[in-house]
Amino acid sequence: MVEQTVRGGATVTVPPDVDIGGLIIDSRPQKPGEPVLRWSSRAHSIAEIDRELARMWAIPKLVTQIDGVEARHIAARTSVMNLVVVARRPEIGEHAAATIQQLTGRHPSRTLIVSTGDPDGPTWINAMVQAHCMLPGEDAPETCAEMIYLTAGGDAGRHLGAIVEPLLVHDLPVTLWWPGEQHFQMAIAQGLLKITDRLVVDGSSWSGDGLQHVRDMARAMDQARLAVFDFALVRQSRWREAIASVFDMPECLPYIRSIRRVAVAYATHDPTGTPGTTNVVKPIYHAAWLASRLEMRVVKPLTPVATPASRATRQAGAGRPRHAATHRGLSAVLHDGHAEVAVVIRPIASPMPSGTTLRVELLAERRGSELRADVTAEAETVRVRVWEDGVELLERLFRSARRTEVDLLAEAIEAPGADPVAAGAIRMAAAMVGG
Amino acid sequence: MTVTKEPSRRSTVPEAPVGAPVKPGKEQPRTMRELRIAREGKKRTATKPLENPLREGLRLERMPEPFAFVLFGGTGDLAHRKVIPALYQLWRTNLLPHEYMLIAVGRRPYTDDKFRAEIRASLDTFSRVLPVDEEAWEGFAQRLTYHQGNFADASSYDRLTVLLEKVQQKEGTRGNCLFYLATHASDFPEIVAQLGRVGLDHEMHGGGWRRVIIEKPFGRDLDSATRLNREVLKVFREKQVYRIDHYLGKETVRNLLVFRFGNGIFEPVWNRRYVDHVQITVAESIGVEGRGAFYEETGASRDFLQNHLIQLLSLVAMEPPASFDADALRDEKVKVVRAIPPPPKTQVMRDVVRGQYGRGWVAAEEVPGYRQEPDVDPHSETETFIAARFEIDDWRWADVPFYLRTGKRLPKRASEIAIQFKEVPHRLFRDATGDPEPNLLAMRIQPDEGILLRFGAKVPGLGIDVRTVNMDFTYGSSFSVDSPDAYETLILDALLGDASLFTRADEVEEAWGIVTPIIDAWADSPPPDFPNYEAGSWGPEPADLLLARDGRRWRRI
Repeated sequence: MVEQTVRGGATVTVPPDVDIGGLIIDSRPQKPGEPVLRWSSRAHSIAEIDRELARMWAIPKLVTQIDGVEARHIAARTSVMNLVVVARRPEIGEHAAATIQQLTGRHPSRTLIVSTGDPDGPTWINAMVQAHCMLPGEDAPETCAEMIYLTAGGDAGRHLGAIVEPLLVHDLPVTLWWPGEQHFQMAIAQGLLKITDRLVVDGSSWSGDGLQHVRDMARAMDQARLAVFDFALVRQSRWREAIASVFDMPECLPYIRSIRRVAVAYATHDPTGTPGTTNVVKPIYHAAWLASRLEMRVVKPLTPVATPASRATRQAGAGRPRHAATHRGLSAVLHDGHAEVAVVIRPIASPMPSGTTLRVELLAERRGSELRADVTAEAETVRVRVWEDGVELLERLFRSARRTEVDLLAEAIEAPGADPVAAGAIRMAAAMVGG
Repeated sequence: MTVTKEPSRRSTVPEAPVGAPVKPGKEQPRTMRELRIAREGKKRTATKPLENPLREGLRLERMPEPFAFVLFGGTGDLAHRKVIPALYQLWRTNLLPHEYMLIAVGRRPYTDDKFRAEIRASLDTFSRVLPVDEEAWEGFAQRLTYHQGNFADASSYDRLTVLLEKVQQKEGTRGNCLFYLATHASDFPEIVAQLGRVGLDHEMHGGGWRRVIIEKPFGRDLDSATRLNREVLKVFREKQVYRIDHYLGKETVRNLLVFRFGNGIFEPVWNRRYVDHVQITVAESIGVEGRGAFYEETGASRDFLQNHLIQLLSLVAMEPPASFDADALRDEKVKVVRAIPPPPKTQVMRDVVRGQYGRGWVAAEEVPGYRQEPDVDPHSETETFIAARFEIDDWRWADVPFYLRTGKRLPKRASEIAIQFKEVPHRLFRDATGDPEPNLLAMRIQPDEGILLRFGAKVPGLGIDVRTVNMDFTYGSSFSVDSPDAYETLILDALLGDASLFTRADEVEEAWGIVTPIIDAWADSPPPDFPNYEAGSWGPEPADLLLARDGRRWRRI
């Protein structure tokens, strides 16, 4: 046995034929639940990355001593999933890495954060291989997750799928988290989606109104048989619970197949609220979820509603209208098998984050009676009010703390297989926007 | 003998009563075509009840309807350590509705503020997530109120009724009420009868459910359990009664169902053909922890065997239920317990071992013997350990012994279900230096919840040496997120009206049907030679002999 000093300052006693470069042992006591960096090394090819990973897992089989005291060492590697993060820019990669590290115990087995460098230069790969470990509890063995930061330039950067695939832990599902903008039709996306089981996106972060991306994502979902986990849709779960609760009431349930109008109001910072200026993925998901659960079909996709302002614009030719009225948004016509259902997605100038749902209104008519449900967002709650023929039937508050990106990613990692309700909502959203 | 034909349960067409005259001129359809045409011409008589399609996929988001939670024994240990921390945790994680109120009922003369201060102090110690979230606490505390009353005092229930009406008006709890009896079992009949007297058991047509959660022990023996069930069911209907056994809310126990019925590869080997025997261990390193008086009256057989161990056994041995519906699941569980014949005295003497710990060392600390514990009779004959061998007389498990053991002051806290498979039928690797051990599947309930599969593997090298290796799944390494406490799971289930993980009256009585003959046999026997195991050991020697005589041994946990 020989003594070697490792990064972190500790001295480790190991057999003489073992190279422990890359191992980091901090001699400070480790707290349960807090991840620590246990390994870090560099590599410049797939083969080198593989070699570093193998070296990393060979070390724990050794009896290590830190300053004469037997140390805790890597005991097990988690075996849950591969997480691939596509970071178009270095800051997105750093942000994603910070988010993933906060997941501590929910770590996937192997995380690959991939980004591309100069596409026109020579081909190169630059990777940093790390192991982040934590103690789940005082007396539990330490478990570790691997993190590989990988940047590829030149031709390699155009074929990320070919770089990622050999680095996946075999037999474990692959989740692809693609923060920010995606271009589903581009070759780079196609290559990655082929090896993916679950795609994690945030539709509310897409530029413009986000509608083209919804169409493309729905197509990619069906083509590649992906399970899609869209933060924009998941954030609305408490809204869905609130809306569903309306029809839990026996007196309201018969109205469920007689909804005639769905109106969703969303916040915009654009005083005109002109379609295309604000991301409307979230408000459209509300209507799409309802429509898909109630098996509606699209008769007329969403189109901008003619407003007095726009009419005034038309009448005045190219001249600017005298009073820039807020646009009345988008409207569509659906059919529930019995009658038509009007859908209105309307902007409201509001200081709330742009694209946030402010209100969902449902109107149902049945045998001469009318049911109106009004679901509104308040600070940390969703309020539901229901009237039948003007008489209030229900008022309830649903607590709805805002979920952070860490919460949402944790949910995405832990969610079981494909969610048919989410898939139905995404398909319907695509149909509503004319996909 | 008259044979009456049972109407088909699947038929949606109402059948004419047997012997009823067929209407003249209306021939009954005979062929498939006639039947189809006949049906086309008339509306179906029985229509499927409407379902809310928006509910699909919202199981985890589902929030209970508004409710009032009436906690009897609100100042007691169970309320402070388990029930209220579980409610706080549900509130903190947004799983309780805004419109809810916790009414704690106790004998002590507390004001609301004093009660809240006590609860806050308890949460600071017993909350699963610390420190307590101040914002969540504020909302939680606003929904806490204290109602002073003696459980036997009728006027206290009249005042409770008025209070509940006020709460319903003010907080919008819509008449939904969950009564939680965290009191001594001897108070159950009185509380239930009083609730019935003031009409708080009545569910309303326009909504407004009433449910009652009863803590174990559910009786002391078969007679008292039957009496208790009778008293409770005089007031509440069975579907309103939730008998809580917190073991059933533990993650691994619930995972046992997923493991057995969510995987295709285990069920084919889950039977007498492949399984040699099953061991279920629930070991505690603690003693009676100041509850000597309580334990003197219960002992290991009543405290653990009748409920936790037999529940675990029934989950391991049950047939797959047709659905995950509460009654379908409980029907299958109760069939298992029914298939264990009540042991006659000779069998008790042969197959059941009792023990009581003496002085010893546990986790490097010297601990007193049971008889030296406070409030324990120095000549106590109460058992702190029990090991038993049962057989299930059914097609699946005939001749497969189930060994159950539980005890206090054992070397460590560990609960585990181990399925020991049979040895391979033919030893192929005769030259191997050691026999491979038979396969084993162990489900650890605590600590380090997880599942272990043991199998043989070749040792690398030129020869054929077979070594036993373990494939170990721990929740910690795969999903090292906090598992909810069993009380959180079960209270939320009760609020949502899901009784799957609660014990039904017949299950309780059937379990007592096994345990009562054991207690009776001991009562008819000479006094035991207690203490017969040292604190910190794995129980008395006869417990080892119980398996040794079958050529087996307890797993080292």
